[in-house]
Amino acid sequence: MYIFKVSCTLVNRPSALDNFALLSGQLNSLKQLLKGDKMPPLRNYVLFPVLLSQDADPHLEKLTEGRVMSCNHDLVPDYLRTKPEPEVEEKIQTLSNKAATISTETNTKQLNSLNKITSNLLDIINSAKDEWENDASQKGAQPQTSLPQETTNLVGAITKGLRLRRPDTSMQQQQPGQMAPSSQQSQHPKPGGIGKVPSTIKTNIKAAGSSHPYQR
Amino acid sequence: MESSGTSFNAAMRSVAPHQEFLLQGSILDAHCEVLLHRLRGLCDNADCNPEQFSDYEAVYQLKNNLSTQQSQYILFRIRQALDHADAPWHIRYLGQAEVGDKNRHTLVRACYDVACSSNVREFLNELGFKLDHEYVARGYFFHKGRMKVTVSKIYRLLQPGKTDQNTLEPMTQSHIVELSVVAPLGQDSIGDDMRNFAEQLKPLVLLEKFDHRRLP
Repeated sequence: MYIFKVSCTLVNRPSALDNFALLSGQLNSLKQLLKGDKMPPLRNYVLFPVLLSQDADPHLEKLTEGRVMSCNHDLVPDYLRTKPEPEVEEKIQTLSNKAATISTETNTKQLNSLNKITSNLLDIINSAKDEWENDASQKGAQPQTSLPQETTNLVGAITKGLRLRRPDTSMQQQQPGQMAPSSQQSQHPKPGGIGKVPSTIKTNIKAAGSSHPYQR
Repeated sequence: MESSGTSFNAAMRSVAPHQEFLLQGSILDAHCEVLLHRLRGLCDNADCNPEQFSDYEAVYQLKNNLSTQQSQYILFRIRQALDHADAPWHIRYLGQAEVGDKNRHTLVRACYDVACSSNVREFLNELGFKLDHEYVARGYFFHKGRMKVTVSKIYRLLQPGKTDQNTLEPMTQSHIVELSVVAPLGQDSIGDDMRNFAEQLKPLVLLEKFDHRRLP
């Protein structure tokens, strides 16, 4: 209105500037009022679509955090709906009619039985859960599907024939033959050296004792 | 004599893969079904039933008086398929299993496995070999790529040389599980595949590089 006036008639320039300053001040205060929470009536505005468009609207997308890309014919009916669809409304109507015809007595009866069924179901689920957790803990407790000792026995049997040889007559001829290599494998010092072994140990102990006087 | 031996070895090396990468473990009989089921899922040919085998193995020993080496005897293993009478017999030589360091995930040993005729036992006897021990291994065979998995039960022979069902006695209450690959020299990457496979069988079976020096 004012702008129209300005463009059509000659006005006093300083007074016009004054008025503009007044306007901007009032706009500012209005903006502040709108920002505050004390002005709900002004914020409750009715939304109606002015323009439907298939093109993507980046501003709208930003406003709706990416949920609505464009204000198109497909979305608007869903977003602006204030009533359920007619079929749904019909269904709700028949159900509420049916509910109204049932007496309070049968009502409470049905409610009780429903509660009972629900609690039973809950019990079953809980017990199943307990069982399942027990199973899991039991499995964790006894995973014994193999024994190290058995592995040792079996590997010994198939690689060295341990516990497979028979103390038969036929085997006795071989017995010394087998024993000799196995004993030599396990302990390398020859029988003749046994006499010397203690003496070396003795000197070792003595040497150790003298070289570390602070250990005892 | 010595030079011909080394040239033979060199020829073998170039012709046939001869290094066996090996992991061993055991499973109690009660849990064997579960393991077989899992292996069937993990290995090739999941749609077929696992291949079964029943082998008689006789281990022959020759004492080596001339050698100044640590091992004073040499073992040769003769294998005969009890369930396939027409299959050739096998003669096998296994070297000492090396544990290696942490970077190596499997045992490594020399392995020469050659098919032969059924009179191999007489031949070995003529050479001066003596029967050291014998057993029957029965079980299941799986393969995944070039990895071989055997789950087998070891039976003692109650009477020498007799492999009838009623003269066999199970050695332990467990099956031995072996995962192996026979590959040319220097293919250490196969160890990674084997370790990954072994991981998938945990905690049912603990496949490990079983140090044969731990055997009594």
